[in-house]
Amino acid sequence: MAELLSGIEQLAPVEALKASFWVYPLVNAAHIAAIGTLFACVMLMDFAALGVHRRLASAGAVQLLRPVALSAFGVAVATGLLLFSVRATEYAVNPAFRLKLLLIVLAGLNFLLFTRTDPPPRTTATVSLVLWCCVLLAGRFIGFL
Amino acid sequence: MQPAALPKSVVALVVAMALCVPALAHHGWSWTEDGFFELEGIVEAVYIGNPHATLDVDVDGEIWRVELAPPSRTRNAGVTEDTVKVGDEVTAIGNRSRDETEPRMKAVRIIVGSQTYDVYPNRAPTD
Repeated sequence: MAELLSGIEQLAPVEALKASFWVYPLVNAAHIAAIGTLFACVMLMDFAALGVHRRLASAGAVQLLRPVALSAFGVAVATGLLLFSVRATEYAVNPAFRLKLLLIVLAGLNFLLFTRTDPPPRTTATVSLVLWCCVLLAGRFIGFL
Repeated sequence: MQPAALPKSVVALVVAMALCVPALAHHGWSWTEDGFFELEGIVEAVYIGNPHATLDVDVDGEIWRVELAPPSRTRNAGVTEDTVKVGDEVTAIGNRSRDETEPRMKAVRIIVGSQTYDVYPNRAPTD
């Protein structure tokens, strides 16, 4: 595992990313944009399931928001891998990073539960909101531990 | 029609989040002590890259993490893989972690041999 992680750090494109002045902050910005998009979509879909706003309750809202959320998640994973790659060895043992990954897995399982029931149970929507807030917080703390 | 109220658990979570954010931080200086701190040891590892450069310094067997600046700023100050090498004796001046059990500091100046590098000149001690 240690070899794999230090191997990632030594890949030529990763070395370039480490030294870059523009690219790293741009990847960072794209990561934030993707998270913001994902978070907004998740919140709106959960609010729809909770009946927070009448206009969200239409089936169209979720139909529109889900593909956007899934694409944003894809971008967040791709940019996240790039950010991870420059100091893979360090991030792999960072408690906030590990917690974040665990929370994303839990949010994924919760999403499966959410999609398998119609209408989605209110608890699933609440759990989703709580989990994604925690993902956001855990992610923010990576740089502070 | 009135929109349904948010579950209390969600409201409680948001409030709790807002309250617990200003904690430890390695970004910026909020996690460090105010007074200057000086560390002497042997360079164990040099990393000049994003998100910020670091040195690992062996101080009597204990490895300290010395945080520097983002790579461009660190290089502009003259700290590169060519000027600071593993095995060099280094003096780091800056601010240590408020958590005294944590061997970590943020350097504003490092001295290698006879050479002084001010990574944060505006924060460096005036002498």
